[in-house]
Amino acid sequence: MRFQDAARDARAVVYAGIQADPLVARVATLLADATPAERWMARAVMNGERTDPEVWRRIFPSLFGEGLVGEGPAGETRGRAERLLAASLDVANRGEQARSQYRGAVVEELTAQLLARRGGPVRRERRVLFDGVPAEIHPYDVTVESPAGPEVYDCKWGARGINADVLNQLDDARAHAADEEIELAVALVVFDARRSAEIRLDRSTARRDRTRLVALETIDELGEGHP
Amino acid sequence: MTDSADLIERASAAYRALADLAETVEDEWQYVTDLGDAYLPSIEALAGGTAPLPAGAVAAVDEAIAEIGLITDPHKAIDWLSTFPHVVALALGGDVDEETEPAEGADDAGPELPAPDEGSPFRVLRRPDR
Repeated sequence: MRFQDAARDARAVVYAGIQADPLVARVATLLADATPAERWMARAVMNGERTDPEVWRRIFPSLFGEGLVGEGPAGETRGRAERLLAASLDVANRGEQARSQYRGAVVEELTAQLLARRGGPVRRERRVLFDGVPAEIHPYDVTVESPAGPEVYDCKWGARGINADVLNQLDDARAHAADEEIELAVALVVFDARRSAEIRLDRSTARRDRTRLVALETIDELGEGHP
Repeated sequence: MTDSADLIERASAAYRALADLAETVEDEWQYVTDLGDAYLPSIEALAGGTAPLPAGAVAAVDEAIAEIGLITDPHKAIDWLSTFPHVVALALGGDVDEETEPAEGADDAGPELPAPDEGSPFRVLRRPDR
């Protein structure tokens, strides 16, 4: 088994430009240290119709309430939420077409940043090649290319993005690695509710019993040791 | 009716309308139905307590209802079917991630409730055997 950079077609080149936009890293960095409530706020804002920050402050009183002021911990909480709100609105303001690509890139970058906290070699947009097996066309969003414990991650903004193709590609990679006596950890990262992802998975007949699900509520797990 | 029950009634009605929009994506009808079956009882269960609502909760939920009322794209509606229950739960200090049975007497909720739509994926929630 070996990892390889994905070939770049025109679409991949355009997407690479979005991935490299500093806004993506800015949002992901804020999300990496955010609370679950702040992550829900960011998800709502980046999915939202309105881009008036006052609207979103009213929708999330636990983050922007009147008591959250000053220089103490309450003020720091408010400040962090304000920075994340501003960054999320910057994504929302990119327009309908672009924002969905930005959101996907944010989840990938967030995943990569959290995995990097473990210190492993984290890469992006990589294919996995196996002896005698035709290569998959689609690269994996994020990989950890440790010889001792390689990992591949597919990232989705919403649970709706989960489908049989994604699940089969992950499980096929795990199985082919096992044929080479390599334990490849495969996971699906979904920036959505675990419950929604499980509802989606419950209707799938694709094999997924060895595929780890990481959802919005548990995404911090990515930075906390080998799966 | 308490403020909480009244608020949740508005949120539930808005959620049903969102689901009606989302189910026009034919390929996702099952997923939309499953989300509604899971989350609508959880939203309704948020009305259970008699404790005072947290500060700003009514304005927060009404603003969230207004937000999903602006959605016209059924694909965006699907995204919000997952997001909206959690936004409401955060405002009320509750949880919508646990399985919840429909409340006792849900069929007798009163004349001001919207009439069940026989074409709605949520009509199953009104069956007495659930």
